[in-house]
Parts: sequence; C-alpha cells; structure tokens
Amino acid sequence: MIAIMFSLLIIPLSGALFVFAISNSRKELFRPIAIAFSLITFTQTVYLLFGEYSKTEFTILSNFDWIQSYGLSLHFGLSGMSTLLLVLTSLLVCVSLSSIGKDHAESKGFVGALLSLQFAINGVFISGDLISLFIFFEALLIPMYFLMGIWGGENRRYATIKFILYTVFGSVFIFIGTVYTAVLSYRVNGKLAVDFETLASLILLESQSRTLFLLFTFGFLIKVPIFPLHTWLPDAHVEAPTAGSIMLAGVLLKVGAYGILRVSIPFFTEGFLAYKNLIAVLSVIGIIYGAIVAIAQIDIKKLIAYSSVSHMGFVMLGISAGGFLSLEGAIIQMINHGITAGALFMLVGFIYERRHTRNIGDFGGVKISMPRYAAVFLFTSFASIGLPGLNGFVGEFMILMGSYNTYKVLTSFAAFGVVLAAIYMLWAYQRMFTGPIKYKENETLDDLNSRESASIAPLVLLMLFIGIYPNFIESFVIQEASLLSETIAMFAELK
Amino acid sequence: MTSISEFLGINYIVIAPTLALLLTVIVLLFCTITISTPMYVKKYVSFFGILLTLFTIFLKFGLFLTDVVSSYFSEKILLDEFALVGNVLIGLVLLFTFNSFWQTSEMIENKTTEALILVLMSASGFLLMVDSENFIMLFIGLEIGSISLYALAGLNRGDQLSNEAALKYFLLGSLASCIFVYGIALAYISLSVTGVFDTSIAISYIGPENVPLTTFVGLILITVGLLFKVAAAPFQAWAPDVYQGSPTGYVGYMATVAKAASFIVLARLVAVSLSFIIDQFDLFFGAVVILSVLAGALFATNQTDLKRLIAYSGVIQSGFILSGISSGVYGVSASIFYLITYIIQLIGIFTVFSIISGQLSSDFQISNISGLFKENKYITITFSIFMLGLAGLPLTSGFVSKFILITNLWSYERYILVTVLMLTTVAGFYFYLRPIWVAAVEKTENAVERIQVKNSDKLLLGILAALTIYFGLLPNTLVNITRWMVEGYL
Repeated sequence: MIAIMFSLLIIPLSGALFVFAISNSRKELFRPIAIAFSLITFTQTVYLLFGEYSKTEFTILSNFDWIQSYGLSLHFGLSGMSTLLLVLTSLLVCVSLSSIGKDHAESKGFVGALLSLQFAINGVFISGDLISLFIFFEALLIPMYFLMGIWGGENRRYATIKFILYTVFGSVFIFIGTVYTAVLSYRVNGKLAVDFETLASLILLESQSRTLFLLFTFGFLIKVPIFPLHTWLPDAHVEAPTAGSIMLAGVLLKVGAYGILRVSIPFFTEGFLAYKNLIAVLSVIGIIYGAIVAIAQIDIKKLIAYSSVSHMGFVMLGISAGGFLSLEGAIIQMINHGITAGALFMLVGFIYERRHTRNIGDFGGVKISMPRYAAVFLFTSFASIGLPGLNGFVGEFMILMGSYNTYKVLTSFAAFGVVLAAIYMLWAYQRMFTGPIKYKENETLDDLNSRESASIAPLVLLMLFIGIYPNFIESFVIQEASLLSETIAMFAELK
Repeated sequence: MTSISEFLGINYIVIAPTLALLLTVIVLLFCTITISTPMYVKKYVSFFGILLTLFTIFLKFGLFLTDVVSSYFSEKILLDEFALVGNVLIGLVLLFTFNSFWQTSEMIENKTTEALILVLMSASGFLLMVDSENFIMLFIGLEIGSISLYALAGLNRGDQLSNEAALKYFLLGSLASCIFVYGIALAYISLSVTGVFDTSIAISYIGPENVPLTTFVGLILITVGLLFKVAAAPFQAWAPDVYQGSPTGYVGYMATVAKAASFIVLARLVAVSLSFIIDQFDLFFGAVVILSVLAGALFATNQTDLKRLIAYSGVIQSGFILSGISSGVYGVSASIFYLITYIIQLIGIFTVFSIISGQLSSDFQISNISGLFKENKYITITFSIFMLGLAGLPLTSGFVSKFILITNLWSYERYILVTVLMLTTVAGFYFYLRPIWVAAVEKTENAVERIQVKNSDKLLLGILAALTIYFGLLPNTLVNITRWMVEGYL
C-alpha cells in the first residue's frame, strides 16, 4: 500500500520526464505515452479504492526525517476522502489528456505540465502533515502557471498573474499558520512536529485556535473560492486551455475545500465554531450571486465558471453546517462537481476547437448539426443542475437536508440556487442548441468523433452511476464525515 | 619553553588560503612581466590557485580539530566556525564563478592578467576579512577586497555605464569605509578595545546597562559599514547601478563574494561582540530589515533591466538574511543557511545572464531574454529554477530557507517583521515570475539570437540547479552545518 501511495507521486513525474525525453520529431507519441502513464496511476488509485485505507479516517503510513535538528519530518498517508479525490484526479487527467486537441497533444510541454500537475495534486491528497501539504499546495502553481501562461487565451497574462498572486497571497496565511502551529507544537513536544497525529493531540487555547483557523481557512477559501474572494476564478477559467480548465474546476477548487476539511476543522474546531456562521452566510451569498451572475453571462465558459462559484458555495454551506449528513454531502458534492464541471469544460473545449468562439450568441440550433454533442451537453447540464437520478442531486440534496436543522433561513435561500442553476444552464442550452441554425458556420459542424466520445463517456457513465447508486460513493466518506461531525459536536457541547 | 612564534601565535596555516591566493597573483604577474605567456597557462595557473586555496581551507579544518576556537598573530586572526564557513563559502564562490570571470577576462584584451589579479586579490581580502578577530584587520581585509571590486566594475573602459558603475561604487564605497573606520574609532575611545571578543568582554565588564552612548554609535557605524556592502536599505543606492554597469561576467562574483564575507562578519559581530546588548539593537535592525524589503520590492516591481531587478531582489534578500541575524543564535544559523542557498541561486542567475548577453555587456533588458525557451531549453529551465528559488517556492532551497527563518522569527514573537517579510514574498512572485514568463512565452523584437553554451557552463548550471533542488528536498545536512556553526554561542 505504501509503495502504491508513493508511486502516485513517482509515476506522473517520471511520465513527465519521459515525455520530455522523447525527441520532437515523434510528436504523435506524446499523447499515447502520457495516457499510458496516467492510466497506470488511475489503475493504482482504483486499487487503493478497494484497499484497506479507503474507508478509514486519515492514517499516516510513512514518514521521513526532513530537517532533523528542527524535528521536522514529512508524513504521508491515506483516507477515504483522499482516495476518492485521488481517483477523481487521475480520471480527469486521463480524460483531459485524451480530449485535448491536436496542437496541445503534440506539445511535450503541455502534456508534461499536465502530468506534473497530477504529481503535485496527488501530493496534496496524500500529505500527512502541514509542511508537505504546503509544499505540494504551492508546487501546483508552477504547472498551472505554464498551462495558463503558454497555452492560454488572449488575455492570459493578466489572468495568470491574478491567479498566481491570489493563490500565493492565500498561501502566505497558510504558511504563517503552519509556522505558528509548529512553534506551538514545539513548546509541547520539544520539536516542530506538525503531522496530523500530533496536531490532533495538541491542546490549544481558544484564542490560538481562532487565530489558526482564520489563517488556514482564509488561505484555503481563496482556493475554493468563496464569495468575495472568487474574482480570480472567472478570469482564470476563461483564459486557461481546456485541459487547464478541467483540472482547475475538477480538482484544484477541491484542494481548498479538502484543506478546510483536513486541517482547519479537525484541529482548530473552536475557531470553526466561532466563524462557521460567517462562512455559511458567505457561501449562501456565493450560491445566489454565482448563479445570478451566471445567468447574465454571454461567454459559455464564464457561465460555467460562475456556476462553479455557486456549486462550491453548496460545498462550503455543507461544511459550515457541520452535521454528519451535511459533511457527507459536501464531500460527495466535491466529487460530483469535479465530474460535472470537468465534463462541461471539456464539452466547451470541443465546440471551441470547431468554432473558435465561446459566445453563446454565436451558436443556435447546433442540435441539428451536432445531435450527439447536444445530447451529452443536455445530460451533463441536468447533472450539474441536480436532476434526481443524476449525481448532482445526491450531494446537493444531502447538503440542503443536513444544513436545514442548523441554518433554516440560509438553507431555504440556498435551495433557490438549484432553481437558478436550472435557469442558467437550460437557458444557455436553449440559446445554443435549439431553434433554427442562425449562422452558416454552424451548419457544417462535425459531431463528436470517437476520441471525443471516448473521453466524455467515462464521466457521463459516472454521473449516471453515482446518481442511481450513491451508496457506493457514500461508503467511502461515512467514517470521515462521522468523525468530523463528532468532533464538532463534542466541542460545541464543551462550549 | 614557548618560542616567540608560539607566544605571538604565528601559524601560517590559518592564513594559508590568503597566502595561496597571493602566491597565485604573484605567479600571474610574473607570467605577464617576463615572457608572453599563452592564455591557457594563465587559465590553469589561476584555476590551480583556486584549487590550492580550497585545499588550504581544508587544512584549516584540521587545525580547527586540534585547536578549536583560538586566536593567532597576537589576537589578529581568529579561527572559529564562522571563519571556516566563510572561507569555504568564498572558496566555493571563486570556484563556481571561475567560468564566468575567466571568460570575461579572456575577452578584455591586454588586461586579462589584471582582471584575474583583481578577482583573486579581492578574494584574498575577503578571506582575511572573515578571518579577522580585530576590527582593524577587518577593515584591512574589507578594503583589499572592495578596492579590487571597484576596479573590476570599471574594467570595461570603453563602456560608459561601466565607468559610471566603477565611480559610483568607489565613491559610495569609500564613504562607507570612512563610516566604518569612524565606528571603530568611536568604539575604541569608549571601550579601549578593537577586538571582536574584547568588545564583548569589555561590555560585560562594565555591564550592559552602563554602556556609553559612544559605544553604541560606534558599533552601529561599524554595522552600517557592513550593511553598505550587503546593499541593505537605506544603503542600497549603489547596487542597481553597479550591477547594471559592470561587465556581466563579473557581477556574479562581485555580488556574491561581498555579501558572503560581510554577512559572515556581521553574524559573528552580532553573535559575539553585541551578544550582551543585542536587545538594544532590535529597533535598528528591525528598521533596516523593513526598509530593505519594502524598498527592494517597491523598486523591483517596475524594473525593465534584469540586472537592476536582481540588484533590488538582492536588497530584499539582504533584509531577509538580516532579520534572522538580529533574532537569536538560531536565527543566525537560519540566516547563514539562507545566505548559502541565496548565493547558489545568484551565481546561477548571473551565469545565465553572461551566457545570454555576452560577458562584457552592461545593459540587459528583460525583453532581451524573450524566446529563450525556443532557443535553449536547458538554460531556461535552470534559470527558472533559480528564479523560483529566489521567490521561495517549495521544492527549492528558497522555500526551506524562508521557512526556517520565519519559524525562528515567529518563535521570537516578531510578528511585525514576519508580516512585512511575507507580504514582500507575495510581491516577489510578481517580479520573479515575469522574467520566466518573458523567457518562456513572450516574443519581442530583440529576442535571443543563437547562443553558444559551453559544456563547462552547462555543467556548472546543472550543479547549481541540482543544489537548489537538493537543499529544497533534503536540507538536513546544510541545516546541521549551520547549527553547528552557532552551537558555541548558545
């Protein structure tokens, strides 16, 4: 199990190096080799899913001394939530590698950056202490920087710098939080131990707990992103290439929520209890605001970006309610949103390659020329809206049901988010796909080819599978959600 | 019976590195004066001289094992952990920058030997500086080192910027030297000592609370003299002009060697001489740190010249290093770690610059490196690693050094410093990533043309980049070395 865990780091990285080693004259080899490497990773994560640590709370499996004289060591481990997110990551890397167009697939830099991004994301999810979490959290930025910076849209420079500066600004707070925790831990343990097992046993004053919760959560919330801190997201999504958008919406946003669930809440619970109402209010504002702004968008990619703000608001609402059901729902919603948003961005990428525009107004009646594409788009939109029977419903329903006891008014408002989602998704579908064909260019559009169908098919199947049989995915998060909700309940009672 | 030489503490091994460099200089002089020597002979002579210096530094470790910390030459020369690490640093700087400064010297017609002699002389001066136990010796070493650097800055006589750099460096540097000497004089008239250890003994004898104002002013002036050399604000004004104007091939050496020596001396000054009254210097050091990082970040953001950008980034890094030096013994060790990793990155960056722009050029715009990725991927990747190291991104040594430093500052409860330093780090990402962006993405009119990269340069860049990554992943060894340095001063 340990070997497989570390190969999640080694294999993507060696894949990236391998692609770099191939000469530029064999361009057609880049994609198959990268897919082969990412399939190995995917198989391994699926193996982990059926292994012994996929239904437990976080278990540290291995540690190394890093700086001995400071007593710092790096820890790595697995848990149910981590395993699920690892599967999601490797799946999305696989499908985005196969979905990208020829010009991207034949650039070794692009393929290599995608694989190194996978390396860093895997690192975040298996980190067992604050230092390694921070290291991989920051290391994410470099491949993203190149993906957006080199292969992005016209205004990519602005968007990339904005994305980097926002994230770095957030991670400064995480960094200071890590340092503060390390110094506090030093006073108790005599060494700067910040692994999750030591942190769980660390007893903090309420003021310390509050400060630390704020430091960590602020950094992670920028990444989620929550309402007033979300402004980097639409810019980044619009300018990022398709694969970058898929990874950004599918996994990177989850890194923020993962950090809150993994670090902020279990270790600084008193701080969480003090600020959870604030987060809940902000996330409901995010749900409504994101949805309303999405309605007004004319760029389909920006529309999906704002819908991400709205959907991640649900996740944060579920987390801040802190009950068993809502936490479970939040984790499941993270996975579901990864699948649906990834699929939507991929679909937008397909049509952008054909028409080189993303304006909704430039389409209309595309259903006639691309019937299969329109069907898949409608299906994914339904999943995103949260139609019962598809995956989006599961998470959002659990969140709304779980949060209602804690926040009656807020949850009622949040429920409108689902209605608004139906408005912006279906209206966009209507404008793009139904009716007569307005522009000549749209008459000759090719339908999905076999490669594209193969890339989107796993995601579509998963939407259906999770929607029909949510018990499967739920079984991996029960243990962690119940542990978290018990911790929260215990601290609430003490108060 | 003790002989007179033992009584005076005459021991040539202690100053052997300096002597080895002087010997090389004399041989080089001989080569030029007597017969016309082919270039490669000069190259091998100077390279051999550097290797000899490294070997003699190795001998000093042997001496240290038997004598531990002790003074020689009637308490003028000191052999302690700081001196050893300083020696090794300067020796390695010479070794790593040899490629650059040799190629530059080769290009300067008829002045190759002069240039080599200036480089080696300045190194011998700085070696003496880190070895000195006495402020007067410190001054002598500093002057030998600095004056050679002033001349080095103006060596490309046809270039106006180079002349300007040399003159500016000389005038401001002399002013700093004056301040330094004045500080020594003030410290002497109030304490009647000029030794590094003697100062601390004298202060402890009269009691830290009875220290006269003259002593404080004197010690602060001595510190200012050193802060000038490391380009900490508000004494940074010379750095951008000198970096920009000097021949690119020399800047890597000039920037690193002065910083290495001055910071080692400053660290020793704080750990030894000021150890009893360091609390009263908090405000002074704090102000210098905050000024440095803010001024550096502010000016670096809108630079168009790459060398000026690196100069202002150097001001920021000096602020970082200084913040550790002024907060406790472990802070000093964290600072030395920072210094070493920073020097590695800096040498790498200037090696890249001199490969791209040519060794003798002075001006070097950011747009000059556009299209570098297309032209040479290896150089771009190593350059990016160094820049990311400066920015402090995880997986590079820059992150580890910042982490250790900030942890120390936090445990000393210097929250304001931590806040300012971290905000500067965010700003740093803006201007450290810009050159990478230009090199990898942008296409401008004055893009990089065909560049020739020698194998020796490739090897050097490889080693430096590998060290940057290595100390980022496995910093244990280096941290232990820097901890060992300060263990005696706990």
